[in-house]
Amino acid sequence: MAKLKIRRQSSRRYEAVYIYDSALEDTAIVEKLDKVQSLLALAEPAEIEHWGRRALAYKIGRHENGYYIITHFNAEPKVLPEFERALKLDGGVIRYLITLHEHELGAPKLSDEELAARRGRSDDDDDDEE
Amino acid sequence: MRRQKKPCPITEAGIRYVDYKDDRLLGRFITDYGKILPSRLSGVDARHQRQLSKAVKKARFLALLPYVKGHTG
Repeated sequence: MAKLKIRRQSSRRYEAVYIYDSALEDTAIVEKLDKVQSLLALAEPAEIEHWGRRALAYKIGRHENGYYIITHFNAEPKVLPEFERALKLDGGVIRYLITLHEHELGAPKLSDEELAARRGRSDDDDDDEE
Repeated sequence: MRRQKKPCPITEAGIRYVDYKDDRLLGRFITDYGKILPSRLSGVDARHQRQLSKAVKKARFLALLPYVKGHTG
């Protein structure tokens, strides 16, 4: 059974992925992103990671490529509806996904020694080389 | 006769929470048609299989993975 947690601080950590139209100029994308992120009224600036242009796994409308941006931020839940509305209205956004970021995802970053140890141990069972 | 249980490949990779943005990792756990591979074939433990299933679905929505592989149109 999920326990009901009473949260004292109302701000929560989110991760958002945006897919922008790859036909847009980079500067236009950054501008659009700044504008939409400003609606979040963030206390501290969001961490922004640009993946850049990559092929979509399937066509979305007429789009075959997208410009991917990943951001992390702490925001009040109540500002999200307005934020999402703006994203939906923005024709330059092909798709977006906002998720709660409650845990670090993926494998923790390994220190150099750990990496070396791992390499030494398993040279042959690395099956995902392409 | 029971076969010996495979070690979970996700635990072995040191992953606590499966990342839906890691399409290379997720790509190892889908079939040739793009369906999620059952854990009895991949050896993924139950906890990671639950995470994997949600991660694949998010990755599909973000067009990182196809809904159906080899489908055009």
